[in-house]
Amino acid sequence: MAVRHLSVEVRLEPSVAVLDLVGEINGFAEEALNAAYAEADAMDTQTILLNFEGVDYINSTGIALIVGLLAKARASHKRLLACNLSEHYVEIFNITRLSDFMSVFPDEESAVVEASVS
Amino acid sequence: MTDPKPARTDADLRRILTEFSVPSEPGKERLAMETVAEAVRDLDIRGENLERLKTAVAEATMNAMEHGNKYRSEVPVEVEVLVVDQDLKVRITDRGSGPPPQEAGDEPDLVAKLEGMQTPRGWGLFLINSMVDEMSITGDDGHHTVELVVHLGAEGGK
Repeated sequence: MAVRHLSVEVRLEPSVAVLDLVGEINGFAEEALNAAYAEADAMDTQTILLNFEGVDYINSTGIALIVGLLAKARASHKRLLACNLSEHYVEIFNITRLSDFMSVFPDEESAVVEASVS
Repeated sequence: MTDPKPARTDADLRRILTEFSVPSEPGKERLAMETVAEAVRDLDIRGENLERLKTAVAEATMNAMEHGNKYRSEVPVEVEVLVVDQDLKVRITDRGSGPPPQEAGDEPDLVAKLEGMQTPRGWGLFLINSMVDEMSITGDDGHHTVELVVHLGAEGGK
């Protein structure tokens, strides 16, 4: 089974920078994830949304990378949101308490609505 | 009058579903995870319970590759999947030496990690413990074995 290396597209919506994640979030993802986050950060929105629709695997190293992004967001007083996680990874975000610090939405639309009203 | 049935032995209660090994290379934990998922296809482990088992297998295999085998690709991680009585057991063995790792898997301190007071890593054992019914770690001079247990049946799985 070949590793599906992470690729990330960054786009700007009216009030949120969106990272469309495709592939696996593991140790190989560090460079792509951090570069995409930096690009989104430079868009100067108050909110950054991680869209997990194209992600089918996150391991503990990937969790650590997401913790790193959340730390950066908190340090710069930005909000980091997540959407389109599978049921399993919603559970993992809950048990790791990531979801206490990073709101999780079922889809992009509801996340963008949240970002635009707060 | 018929002869009484012979007493059941451990061998009667133990059914090996598969045994295999994977090289200690980053990313190969997914091969272990998918092979175990295929091996338990006929058991009553589905949906979210199967996803939990897969995550536990992947994390235990990663730990074996990294901490036991130091990511030396020629050193395999061995995986045994078996049913013992009403339990599914997955045993993951590396060639590590020294005392086996702690199995407590306490909840990591996310706030300390977010504030830069701890490394953001260190989720593996906690995830494993959260995903299966039981976990134990044993070891000797040349091996560590992590055993994951899922209770089969209606109450099985976390």
